[in-house]
Amino acid sequence: MRSPLAVAGVLGLFALLYLAPVAAPNELYALHILTLALIYAVPAIGLNLLFGYTGLVSLGHMGFAGVGAYATALLMKNAGAGFVPALAAGALAAGVVGALVGMPCLRLRSHFFIIVTLAVGVILYTLFNNLDALTGGAEGLPGIPRPRPLDLGFLVVDFRRPQGFYWLALTVFAAMFLVQYLIVRSDFGRSLAAIRQDETVAAARGVNVFAHKLAIFAISAAIAGVGGGLKVTFLRAAAPLSFELMESINLVMIVILGGAGFLLGPLLGAVLFIAIPEVLRVASELRLIIFGAVLVLLALYAPRGLCGLAEAMWRQLDTKGYARARHP
Amino acid sequence: MPVPAILELAGLRKSFGGIVALDDVALTIERPGIYGLIGPNGAGKTTLFDVICGRQMADHGAIRVEGRPIERLRVHERARLGFSRTFQECRVLREETCLDNLLFAAQDKRLGREVWQSTTRRTAARDEAAAEARRLLALVNLDGYAEAPAAALSYGQRRLLEIVSALIARPRFLLLDEPASGVNPTLLNTLRDFLRRIDADRRIVILVVEHNMEFIMSLAARIVVMHQGQVLAQGTPSEVQADPRVIEAYLG
Amino acid sequence: MLTALLEQIVNGAMIGSVYVLVALGMVLIFGVMQVLNFAHGVLFMAGAYVCHFAFFKLTGNYPAAIALSMLALGLMGLVLESAVFRPLRDNIQMQIVASLGLILIIQNGVIALWGPQALQMSVPTAQTIVRLGPLSFTAQHFVIIATVAATVILLQLFLTRTRFGTAIRATSQNADAARVVGIDINHVFLFTFTVASALAALGGALLGPLFLIFPQMGDLPLLKALTAIVLGGMASVPGAVIGGLAIGIVESVSTLFIPTDFRDTVVFGLLILVLLVRPWGLFGVRVRGEA
Repeated sequence: MRSPLAVAGVLGLFALLYLAPVAAPNELYALHILTLALIYAVPAIGLNLLFGYTGLVSLGHMGFAGVGAYATALLMKNAGAGFVPALAAGALAAGVVGALVGMPCLRLRSHFFIIVTLAVGVILYTLFNNLDALTGGAEGLPGIPRPRPLDLGFLVVDFRRPQGFYWLALTVFAAMFLVQYLIVRSDFGRSLAAIRQDETVAAARGVNVFAHKLAIFAISAAIAGVGGGLKVTFLRAAAPLSFELMESINLVMIVILGGAGFLLGPLLGAVLFIAIPEVLRVASELRLIIFGAVLVLLALYAPRGLCGLAEAMWRQLDTKGYARARHP
Repeated sequence: MPVPAILELAGLRKSFGGIVALDDVALTIERPGIYGLIGPNGAGKTTLFDVICGRQMADHGAIRVEGRPIERLRVHERARLGFSRTFQECRVLREETCLDNLLFAAQDKRLGREVWQSTTRRTAARDEAAAEARRLLALVNLDGYAEAPAAALSYGQRRLLEIVSALIARPRFLLLDEPASGVNPTLLNTLRDFLRRIDADRRIVILVVEHNMEFIMSLAARIVVMHQGQVLAQGTPSEVQADPRVIEAYLG
Repeated sequence: MLTALLEQIVNGAMIGSVYVLVALGMVLIFGVMQVLNFAHGVLFMAGAYVCHFAFFKLTGNYPAAIALSMLALGLMGLVLESAVFRPLRDNIQMQIVASLGLILIIQNGVIALWGPQALQMSVPTAQTIVRLGPLSFTAQHFVIIATVAATVILLQLFLTRTRFGTAIRATSQNADAARVVGIDINHVFLFTFTVASALAALGGALLGPLFLIFPQMGDLPLLKALTAIVLGGMASVPGAVIGGLAIGIVESVSTLFIPTDFRDTVVFGLLILVLLVRPWGLFGVRVRGEA
């Protein structure tokens, strides 16, 4: 599924991203933008697997990020847990909630399923906002510590500083990117793609469609949970507004913009989503109107997002392959 | 101790709302070979396929494979038992290449296996699967299209791809729903030769729903005629063509 | 206790009537076009704003302002159907993406034009108090209930007694068959979307005077209306009516027993419960292939 050239390109991209703070140590603003983008890109990977590859629309996905976020926050704040175990626990919690939601809901026809995901997102937000004893209610949980500095020998990474946290976010993103890659190019990923294109064919060829949907839904929720944990560690606080309906809609926008069903779609979409408002310094309403217009235009003319447009242009250049096939 | 039939359908009934699609259908298949399933429109042929493969559940009746009842099994479970089918409307994965369509059809679909495979990647097995897929594509003259998306094929070529996809998983029962429909005469010959070869090589049960009489009569060893949800007659092609009830059903 | 219950039932009937209007629009669009229009909430909200504008800037006449609002939103519906939803027919996912985009455009367009603060629209019927025994409501409560009742009856008559109404029903049952019989599907879809948008505007215009008019006012009614149509069966007009009223009354009465914060959770919990147990709703038809 991936040519050696593409693999080299991605590795090169990651190398560049890791080196960026070293190469341009004074560009703190750009670093901040990239960090935010990475924080959004992680749950976007989860949604990309669910929507882009399997074809399931989830309009409340940041609710699962919230589950992971609060679990991570509570463990780090109250139990003094380390970052990695807390993040893993958050992913597990989110995955379990995802599985519990998916089990009854994935059997529904697509319209109903979509409505349910919306309702679940709203319910989770309401719970975050109102279960004061557990989540701190509307004020949330402040005072989440950054991970302890990491001594690599040649370098001590201080996660309280922007460069340190950037590398942390990048590493978490890279890990989730790897998970996405492994899934997509595996037989599991092939079955998911078959489910997206034609469930009837998938089932007729032996795929247990429900089990596959449940598995990817849980995995997708878990990845969102990782994103949630990362987000609240960055903000040093967990608050319900980080996971409300609008955030879930933003996530859908990010995935569509970057390109649903493309490995780099989440990162591209997140970077654009964060960077463009900073470039276009207009009133926030106008910004959102532009986003809305972009969504409508994407739906009408570029449903496969920017990666899709890029691929279409690449195909135009690579005419020899299909031309030969059509006229052997 | 009599050997149970390979496939046995008994007392199958299926209604949709007020319409009776299958009315007490009984059929026994004792040996491998090509069986034609013919009948006027609305006779219940595709519904019978749907019920055999699990896409629809029968209201009453039994389906037995070598004596074992399978009516409760779902589509993917029957597929793993060896049932493989094509569809009247020709369904393939249009965005995937022909090769990927076949690799998908051939892969082990058990979820645990698939997830495990994502981390292990045994290259030898993959190369073997790809070689088998290309071999099958060559048999239907589609080897030049291996890397082309299925959407780029002509309708007839897609039909051939669909049939090959159904075959690659080594089914025991191959159910083809109007494979000749919309296929031009040249490709029809390819298809006919291909099916004869599969019949000779693999010795499986091939059930073919067809309207193209010339095609199916020259291919099938036995013909089953359906009419208004029931099995009207069965026999060799010549027996069935001479049967007055069959003639009446088509003309009346 | 009994008086409190009665009070909430009347309140529930009032808010439920508003949900019915939004739900009717969504049921029409879904039943006829199989489109889930998530943008319906912002159409409701825009209706309130346009009515406010018409009332204060154009005519001091409330009914006239309502009519203008319905006209304006009907026109918007016309444009949206032809420009956005018609090209996306059969593509559920992109329809949803487009509706999300429309929500952003319309909601923020309103904020850009009117500002984020809430507006007030005081009309005579909202000022007049009506007493029922120990309870008091505004006249607007009953205006809403009566108007919605009349609308539902008119709609039902239209759908069953007129030729075009029959064409709409035929299309909702089987679009292909309707096409074969000679019905122009495009006209049916266009008309349906236009009427549904006008109904949403009516809802906003009616509710506006009772509470505040603010950009997010359509968000919760959208979700409640979604719940109502799921409850009632996605393509059923009587179902939408009963579903909307039921939700309104249930949510109002529940405030007597459960803290208000959880009121919405009750409604959405109900939604999920119905979807799991009886996804085709109370009045829907079980479709082939459904669990």
